[in-house]
Amino acid sequence: MSDNVIDVEGLTKLYDGTTAVDNISFSVREGEIFSMVGPNGAGKTTTVEILECIRTPTSGNAEVLGHDVMKDEDRIKEKIGVMPQNFNTFERLSAEENIRLMADLYGSKNVEEVMKMVGVTDFKDKKFSELSGGMQTKVGIGMTLISNADLLFLDEPTTGLDPHARRETWKLIKRLKRTGKTVFLTTHYMEEVEELSDRAAVLIDGRIEVIDSIENLIRDYGGGIKVVVRKDEKAVELVKEKSDEVFKNESGELVGIFDNKKRARKALVTLFQMDCDVEVKEAGMEDAFIRLTGGKLDEEGELV
Amino acid sequence: MKKSISLFISLTKNWLRSKSGVFFSILFPVMLLIIFSAVFGGGETAEYTIHIENEDFEENGIPTELSEAFIKALDDTGTLNVNEVDNLTEHREEEEGFGSYRGLRIKEGFQERAENKSMSIRVGVMHETMLLMENESDMEEEEREEFERGKESLEEWSQFLGKEHLFDLNRSEYADYLNEGEIHEEMRSAFEEKNFSISDDAEMKYEENGSWTIEDEEKKFIIQEDEEENKLHIFREKESAKIVVYTSPGDQGGQVVQGTVRGVVDSFDSRMIGVEDTTIEVGEETTEDEELQPADYYLPGILTAFIMTNGIIAVTTTTTEYKRNGVLKRLSAAPIQKKDWILANVGQQTLLAFILTGVMILLSRILFDVQAVPGIYSLGLIFLGAVAFCSVGMVLGGFIKDVEAASGIGNAIAFPMMFLSGAFVPIEQFPGYLRTVARALPLYYFHQGLQELMILENLSGAIIPYIVLGSLTVVFLIAAIKVTDWKDM
Ligand SMILES: Nc1ncnc2c1ncn2[C@@H]1O[C@H](COP(=O)(O)OP(=O)(O)OP(=O)(O)O)[C@@H](O)[C@H]1O
Ligand SMILES: [Mg+2]
Repeated sequence: MSDNVIDVEGLTKLYDGTTAVDNISFSVREGEIFSMVGPNGAGKTTTVEILECIRTPTSGNAEVLGHDVMKDEDRIKEKIGVMPQNFNTFERLSAEENIRLMADLYGSKNVEEVMKMVGVTDFKDKKFSELSGGMQTKVGIGMTLISNADLLFLDEPTTGLDPHARRETWKLIKRLKRTGKTVFLTTHYMEEVEELSDRAAVLIDGRIEVIDSIENLIRDYGGGIKVVVRKDEKAVELVKEKSDEVFKNESGELVGIFDNKKRARKALVTLFQMDCDVEVKEAGMEDAFIRLTGGKLDEEGELV
Repeated sequence: MKKSISLFISLTKNWLRSKSGVFFSILFPVMLLIIFSAVFGGGETAEYTIHIENEDFEENGIPTELSEAFIKALDDTGTLNVNEVDNLTEHREEEEGFGSYRGLRIKEGFQERAENKSMSIRVGVMHETMLLMENESDMEEEEREEFERGKESLEEWSQFLGKEHLFDLNRSEYADYLNEGEIHEEMRSAFEEKNFSISDDAEMKYEENGSWTIEDEEKKFIIQEDEEENKLHIFREKESAKIVVYTSPGDQGGQVVQGTVRGVVDSFDSRMIGVEDTTIEVGEETTEDEELQPADYYLPGILTAFIMTNGIIAVTTTTTEYKRNGVLKRLSAAPIQKKDWILANVGQQTLLAFILTGVMILLSRILFDVQAVPGIYSLGLIFLGAVAFCSVGMVLGGFIKDVEAASGIGNAIAFPMMFLSGAFVPIEQFPGYLRTVARALPLYYFHQGLQELMILENLSGAIIPYIVLGSLTVVFLIAAIKVTDWKDM
């Protein structure tokens, strides 16, 4: 058996006519945090749910922990932890009662430990419906962890959370990785992908555009020096001429990417001499994504 | 199984903590039971209030003796709580919307007609007795003569009793128009000349001894041929004393009230005829004993109706809700089977049904002295009902996508079924075709069965309901398993 915990081969899902997932193939390795990113409707949830055995694929093969998703549903479900998109649970049960229910369903006993780990202990007696979004996410991750599974699926766990709650969730996910768990994550936040993942797949219109390690993705698609120019005619001309790639960002500013540092330095010297208002940054996952998709995602994951 | 139990506990807690959930599935039905039973009687011995308007007065304005006696007799039954009112129609309007209204009107001429009528009946009775004696062989010659004379005069006299002489016609002139069937124009105009109208649908009939009748829906004329005087004597039959009992449609107590009134009327009749030890002495007691108390009637009705609505409305709604808000998706991703989920729901509804049964029976006992005890068979039937209707709810929940539609459709199915199956209104009061519809509804059998078991304690009467409900339970449960999505939600 390979080191892969997930092996997907030619997976396709049609919903009466529309193709949600279009013949994708990929693998997830043991112990990594694997991210699937892509705009709304790209097919992320569909893919995840097929792997979780709660959705039937139209064609193709998928193996999770060595079991076929079509044949060994029960075995797979026992061995994975799942947090669905827009996760919800019994709203009039307390945080602890909800986690305990899952503990019973998975046959686990370490409720206290899990509650402590995800930080639920302080509000464990509060009803689920009375918790804030961030607290609910903690309960959701708790209900995922209580499975004691080594493979966890988190479908957009941080959507709708404030920056602080998001960062806390990141910390938790990093801690999971350190305990040797494999995490399959979907998200709209490139920052999150960059911060957490080892590898990522960019899904667009049901197809995998690229799949690689974060370093490679940034190097190949983001990499280099990013120069943002603020409405300065001469500077705009210069950047357009000298950079390898230009595009407009959300504020309508011109962004030029220099793959070559030397050339970037030369251009910057000229710009500074001309006393232009420019900002210099190192390009990241976000830029890689923009170049791949020809757009940027807003908070809700819509391409802009 | 362990997983089902955990799920069952979670579902139950989640339900118990919903105030509206508990209200509609337990408190609401209990309130209904109390209100229904209290409004339609209730208390230790059921007493039914009846409002009486007496129209029968003497010329000096005081009520006639007979009508007073009649009212007192009604009051003395112990079943009726008599309230005399001046105007029944007005009083009824004032009381409108306040449960069932039961009224009784003693019509004008009650005493006079009752007396006339009873004379005629008395004669009739005597007459029959004499004819019987006639056949007895050991009668002396003298006795027989006396008897014959008496009989003749009685017969003569009896002709004039119970009827009112109007006028005479010339026999030779009108004998030709004495024919069975339609009334001849000449005869009709002769009546009209004397200001008595004969309606178009009236028919003439030959009775006996030269006696003819002209009868329509309202009145009856009697024509007596008199050969000696060459006359036709025209009479009108006297009307009987009238009382009218008014009850509301669908009123459980209405039947008791009518029965009681009829009983009093019968015993009055008998007393006036003078036959004391008659069998018609009418069993008010039998009526009272056999008649169910309102709470007895409503207990199985409301119980079954709400076990049904809890299944069809509440389960349908929560199933759609869990499906929509993602709770079901989270559960389906856990290592449990669809059957665990269905089992947990069925368990929760069964528990709820038993709680409801317990609370209702306890309250009925405390408040209305209902002696119903749920035996093992009643509990078995309640279990079947809870499972059957919970399954229906899960089937509907499996089909329906949004919560509003779910509660709408649930209501649309549950409410007609509630009223059609005889849970609130006895189906004996339905027109024939509705009774057929009722017999096609599962709630009908649930209710019938429970009534037989819990109130009438008649096990054999519950066999068919048991079989029907049991089969339906299996069918619905299988349908629920088939229809519930556990994947591709
Ligand atoms: N149950 C369904 N029935 C029909 N079409 C569906 C269903 N679920 C998803 N789709 C369609 O499949 C496509 C992929 O949806 P999916 O939910 O997998 O996207 P996603 O990448 O998770 O999007 P998001 O970022 O908004 O969560 C979309 O076009 C969506 O409309
Ligand atoms: Mg999604």
